[in-house]
Amino acid sequence: MKVSLLIKTIGFYSAIACVFLGSCTKGKTDYEAERGGVVDEVVEFKEVTSAVTAGYTISIEALNGTFYRGYNDIRVKIKDTQTNTPVEVSALTFLPIKTAVTGEKSSCPHQYDFGYNAEDKYFFGYTVFTSESGTEGSWTLDISFTVGNQTVSLIKEVSVRQQTNKNLNMTAFTGKDDQQYIIALVSPQKPNVAENKLVAGIYKLNKPLDSSSKSIADQLKFSYSQADRYTLKLDPRMPEPSMGNHSSPNNKDLIQDRDGLYHGVVNYTMTGNWTLNFILLDPDGKVVRGTEVPKDFTPGVEGRKSELHLDILF
Amino acid sequence: MKKLSTVLFILSLGLKVHGQGTPEKRDTTRRLGEVNVDAQVRRKVESDLKMAVSVDEFLASSDNISFIKRGAYAWEPLLNNMSTERATITIDGMHIFGACTDKMDPITSYVESNNLSSIDIKSGQGGNMHGATVAGNIDLKRRNTPFGLPQKIGGAYQTEFEFNNKQAFNLGNLFYSTDNFVADGSIAYRNAGNYYDGNNKEVLHSQYNKLNASLGLAYKTSALSAVRVDAIFDRAKDVGFPALPMDLWLSRAIITSASYKQLFEEGLIKVWDTKVYFNAVEHYMDDTTRPENLVHMDMPGWSTTYGLVSKINLKKDQYSSEIQLNAYDNLSIAEMRMYPQDRSKQTMFAYSWPWITTRFASIAMNNSWEISDRNKVNLGGSLGWNYNYSKYVEFNWIFHPGAPQKKNRVLPSLQASYELNLNQFDIAIGTGFGHRAPSVSEAYGYYIYNSFDRYDYIGNPDLKNEISYEVNASVGFKTEKLSVAAKVNYFYIDNYIIGRILSLGSPMNYQSVGVKGYTSLNYATLFNTAVSMDYKILDNLHWKAVLTYARGKDDAGGNLPFIRPLSYQTILHYGSKRLGLQTSLNGDFAQHNYSPMYGEDLTAAYNLWNLSADYSFSLGRFKTVFQIGAENLLNEYYSTYADWGNIPRMGRNIFTSLKVNF
Repeated sequence: MKVSLLIKTIGFYSAIACVFLGSCTKGKTDYEAERGGVVDEVVEFKEVTSAVTAGYTISIEALNGTFYRGYNDIRVKIKDTQTNTPVEVSALTFLPIKTAVTGEKSSCPHQYDFGYNAEDKYFFGYTVFTSESGTEGSWTLDISFTVGNQTVSLIKEVSVRQQTNKNLNMTAFTGKDDQQYIIALVSPQKPNVAENKLVAGIYKLNKPLDSSSKSIADQLKFSYSQADRYTLKLDPRMPEPSMGNHSSPNNKDLIQDRDGLYHGVVNYTMTGNWTLNFILLDPDGKVVRGTEVPKDFTPGVEGRKSELHLDILF
Repeated sequence: MKKLSTVLFILSLGLKVHGQGTPEKRDTTRRLGEVNVDAQVRRKVESDLKMAVSVDEFLASSDNISFIKRGAYAWEPLLNNMSTERATITIDGMHIFGACTDKMDPITSYVESNNLSSIDIKSGQGGNMHGATVAGNIDLKRRNTPFGLPQKIGGAYQTEFEFNNKQAFNLGNLFYSTDNFVADGSIAYRNAGNYYDGNNKEVLHSQYNKLNASLGLAYKTSALSAVRVDAIFDRAKDVGFPALPMDLWLSRAIITSASYKQLFEEGLIKVWDTKVYFNAVEHYMDDTTRPENLVHMDMPGWSTTYGLVSKINLKKDQYSSEIQLNAYDNLSIAEMRMYPQDRSKQTMFAYSWPWITTRFASIAMNNSWEISDRNKVNLGGSLGWNYNYSKYVEFNWIFHPGAPQKKNRVLPSLQASYELNLNQFDIAIGTGFGHRAPSVSEAYGYYIYNSFDRYDYIGNPDLKNEISYEVNASVGFKTEKLSVAAKVNYFYIDNYIIGRILSLGSPMNYQSVGVKGYTSLNYATLFNTAVSMDYKILDNLHWKAVLTYARGKDDAGGNLPFIRPLSYQTILHYGSKRLGLQTSLNGDFAQHNYSPMYGEDLTAAYNLWNLSADYSFSLGRFKTVFQIGAENLLNEYYSTYADWGNIPRMGRNIFTSLKVNF
């Protein structure tokens, strides 16, 4: 008698469970997919291109195996072509050169002397490509390295593609001080509805001092330098009219850290379109570029952007 | 007392063979019942004026319950003028949590008057048996048909029509009872259109539609033990909330439990009752009926709870005791997705409850000693553990960087009371102390729009426990014709949780004007008092009146929101054998002690006059009652202090209803 009741009870419950558990009227949002839909995070370095020179194979790597307009972390590996083993290289220099359709040559912010990771035996540095390959011009890399007493050089043409991830956007502008600047976002690649560490590089075009005496490579090598001791004031907002100029709390302006890059904090309160409104201050605290944006909550009105801003979408 | 025992007798699963069982067994049951009853208010689900009431209307007739109303449906009950976070609302001891961040679905909206037998309201720490509380406990008691009724199959059907909002209300319930098997079933359906206010103006978006069904099966496993399974299904559809910028498209709840009850004839332990339960609530809001909204938004919510409640009743001579173990696990999820004007663009998504798990366990014990016929002491306490886990804690970090993802809290509670009977006087004094943990919204809520003060609310995971110290007293005087009772309680609440304007962040919901964060005031105080009187003018003419007053202040001497002003209810009842006539007056005085900081403004006084008549007759072998009446007979235009957005309440409402018992 007891057993039959137990069976009845179980039957009753499993019937209810089947009806209900399997049938939430609307599905819950898959949050991981929600974030992954717009932005893919890439963490793996893959070969962009390689070249063989003087018995050495030079492999140039970047994230996703592609150079993009904007900030790129770059690794270079050098192997003996015959034995396919890493070679003891004492120094490596890296110079990206853009050749415009007119034939004019220029460079972009980059690290000229690459660092060396002894453990995994590769050189590392960065380059901020300021344009995509195409109508604006083409890019070549001028790489030199030293093995023993021998210096090996090569020039390799590479292709720079459009950056589809808006979180790695960049902007170039002329400041009130008549200097030319570039701000490139370095991370996060894939922001969250959360506190995000925001990293950007700020670079300044150096005015050519003495153009006649040096080779073109020497000139280009120093064409940009890191802008030091600046401050990048941050005011993130959602520009959609429906969001009424919504902003987030606890954001931190970007200031330069020991790695030379600028670090701050941006909070995204929800997914969607965001604008990072910036004001760039020079070491004396003078405004180089950027305007204060309205702080009011104005539903139905598209948010006004600073004259210095980057649009984000995730 | 006789009536109470009857109710209890039915409640105690009716483990009695019908009619004449062995007398000592019956005694046991009754004596046990008395233990449960002391110091609590237990009421049948029917109001004095109206026989076909909703759960909300029924609760409204209680002197320590008031309501926040966002429309005609799903009123949020306030116990001792405190919001639902401060009270525990349970169904037969089961914990259920609404799935709506805007509190559009209090637990009372998931039951119907015909699947309840009574509602227990315990004030303050007297309600600590069911878990940590400050305001007290509202326990909705399910209807349980006893075993072995002389009538094997029976039931009732009730139909009502209300003219103001064209509400059609049909209730049916059926039971089958044998010596060792009982089945209970109920079904209720209401459908209402928009209501009209005192100026005969239609209040748009105030319609609703609700279906509720319940089933209970009990089986007697031995002379002294039984198992029971229960389920309630509730579905509300197309419910308008005139005070909110959106309505309810659909909410559904399934509330299930399986229990085992064992009675003991000898020894200290008298009853052991254990129940496991599961309930799930889903709640989907809808703003597509509000074309004036700038932003289309989806706001679905889900709440799932598993739990256990086990209770033992002890009794020896003058000592009796109740020990209760509670445990539950709840997962609350609420999402919001906003759509840009250009729908092809990326939508904007965030969690308003970022997958919050709450685990709670408590052990509670209440003891009472009848020192003499006139003196009685109650002493009780509970110790609870509350655990929260926020799956997407990064949402909480935006406003509270570094807040812990997991949080454990210990929630102690103590209460003591002394009751004295001096001839015609009943005097009781009591005191209590208890902690409560912040609610999911208070601790982890994220941009929850409150349309009353028009702020977006942000939870704070680091909020301290709210600690309540209370004293209460009551005096009653009774003669054959007259009974007068006065009750008073005072709460001093440390770390009182309330929303305060944040200087950081900006609103997310387009209607809101700013962001408020839940913070703790140093303290707040609350004072409630009620005086009630009952007078038998003639044998069949009966007068009742209740006057209540409350005052709530924050630590700066400012007013707390949603505190009911001086209010009264009075009813005159005439009853002959077949005919009943009742007329009542009720109203609030002006709310002078309002809180502008929380969006309140001065609410004017109002007075309502209600009237009803009922006639009982036999229809063949069926006992039948017919009722006709009117609420707000003078069609007064009014809104109460707790009406969200000062929406006007219903104007004159004529209702008729017919009840057939078989």
